[in-house]
Amino acid sequence: MKRPATTLQAFFLDGARGQRFCLLHAPPSGQAVLGHVVYVHPFAEEMNAARHMAGMQARAMARAGFAVLQMDLMGCGDSSGHFEEASWDAWVADVTLARGWMLERWPGVAWLWGLRAGCLLAAQACRQDGLPAQLLLWQPVMSGKQHLHQFLRLQMAGDIVRGESSRSTSRLIHLLEQGESVEVAGYSLSAALAQGMAQADLEALPAGTQIVCLELGDADIGAVSPALSAQLQRWQTSGCNAQAHVVAGSVFWQMQESPDSPAWLATSLRSLGCAEAEVAL
Amino acid sequence: MAVETDVMRILDSVLSLQGRGADWQRHTPLLGAVPELDSMAVLGIITALEERFAFIIHDDDIDSAVFATLGSLSDFVAAKQAE
Repeated sequence: MKRPATTLQAFFLDGARGQRFCLLHAPPSGQAVLGHVVYVHPFAEEMNAARHMAGMQARAMARAGFAVLQMDLMGCGDSSGHFEEASWDAWVADVTLARGWMLERWPGVAWLWGLRAGCLLAAQACRQDGLPAQLLLWQPVMSGKQHLHQFLRLQMAGDIVRGESSRSTSRLIHLLEQGESVEVAGYSLSAALAQGMAQADLEALPAGTQIVCLELGDADIGAVSPALSAQLQRWQTSGCNAQAHVVAGSVFWQMQESPDSPAWLATSLRSLGCAEAEVAL
Repeated sequence: MAVETDVMRILDSVLSLQGRGADWQRHTPLLGAVPELDSMAVLGIITALEERFAFIIHDDDIDSAVFATLGSLSDFVAAKQAE
């Protein structure tokens, strides 16, 4: 059976200091609309690596009845501004802008779907909003500070591969603390961005928030990492409804041209309450 | 032995070996022998180890020698866990 096609629109939204590139995946006409999803992309190179999987998931969600917005945050992808000009607060504001825009146009359940550092941004937008939300978190970064250090260590990782004595990341951290920008792996990172990221976490979400996490692993074993397990506990204690799924697949946010991870699509659709008939496709 | 299994699982996942590493031994060389092991992959492994075991790896802890073989990488992880 040939299924009616979803529609894809590309456009710019006016944000602070420039325009944000957006892709809107809309359900096929005639399909009941269940709600909307705002995708929050990961940081730096992970955004590019994950583009293919994010697009596949967005299309699958649209087929199942969700309108999905993918926005390139300030200074990323096709949005205006340079990466160096972006700050963490500007990115949180972008997420809020995207949510508000979708809320006005697509009634129903409102999901925020983050990948890696995008989960931190989604969480912060929810916290600022203060209302219980629905969060779909893919391989969530739980500590912005750890994530920042990992990014800065790309320089050190390159040194290891070349067999050179590795340059210390602490010099980069020192420069950022002095308010200077640093250049790592082709990205010029501002002190404002680094500072915001270093303070970001997934705590203090509004009570009643529903959280679904997907973590890469062996689905047969099914145990989430100790770090995520502790995070789930903290969410439950603070009155959120949190669950996690261990899902098989590839590290699609780190490797270019990684194999598809269809189980991630199916698990996410199920978590959004889509019918099994949609999940199977 | 459990550490080697965990490390192997992480290598398989980060490098998308899809089971190719099933017969790797402690002495199996990594850096310079496994083409997938570029800087993003080295960082990916460090990241995965930190996230999996909830410890922090400092720059001073780590150099090319850690990534010489499966055994050297596993020994490194076991030592970090014991800290």
